[in-house]
Amino acid sequence: MRPATLLFRVAVAGRSMEPTLEDGDWLLVRKLRRPPRPGEVVVTSDPREPARLLVKRVRAVAGDRVTVQGDHADPAESTDSRQFGPIPGAAIVGRPLLRYAPLHRFGLVR
Amino acid sequence: MDLRSLIAPRLVAHAHCDIPCGIYDPTAAKVAADTVAKMVEKITGSTGGDEASRNTFIRSVAVKEEHAQICKKELLILWTDYFKPEHLEKYPKLHDTFWKAAKLCSKNKQSVDAKAAADLQAAVKEIADIFWATKK
Repeated sequence: MRPATLLFRVAVAGRSMEPTLEDGDWLLVRKLRRPPRPGEVVVTSDPREPARLLVKRVRAVAGDRVTVQGDHADPAESTDSRQFGPIPGAAIVGRPLLRYAPLHRFGLVR
Repeated sequence: MDLRSLIAPRLVAHAHCDIPCGIYDPTAAKVAADTVAKMVEKITGSTGGDEASRNTFIRSVAVKEEHAQICKKELLILWTDYFKPEHLEKYPKLHDTFWKAAKLCSKNKQSVDAKAAADLQAAVKEIADIFWATKK
């Protein structure tokens, strides 16, 4: 999945990024053209199913191998690099900048 | 086209575990509590010492036991997995309500008590009402 535009919107589905992102949040995402940095939230394509997008946080970057993980405190609530291993840097699509809905949670994604 | 559909994302970014999550419903607890009440009714009204009656009686007790346990399990899933600290802020009695409801499940196992069964139904309804209020 490669969105055509520099900025695109995604809806978050699932709870693995709680408390940072909640199920149903709407995000404005900017395409990432540089290597990801540890600590950033990123939208990546699912290494097991490339047409599907995931949203996770970068834990570590080693060359082209990027370890991503959900923020949820309970590892059982997130499927990420702990299951599918590091992902290639090329799988990373973008970085969420802004949560624009729901309005009471409007703000930058950190 | 309304504003909402204009600004709605057309892509989904998954933040899932592979196990389906986020699907919670108090209906399972309600059905279990209703079943417990129904079994208490059957046990209390049970007469006759023939084999068929005794079989029905014992089955009713077994079903009561089983559904009281199902009710407790379903309540604990809602309590520990669905409800979050912000819900507790809004419903300060939440923990107490769940604790009492779970204890009522145990009481319904230990006894044949129409009042305990009705109390359990009421407690589950109270939790279901809170649940649906959080979904609005």
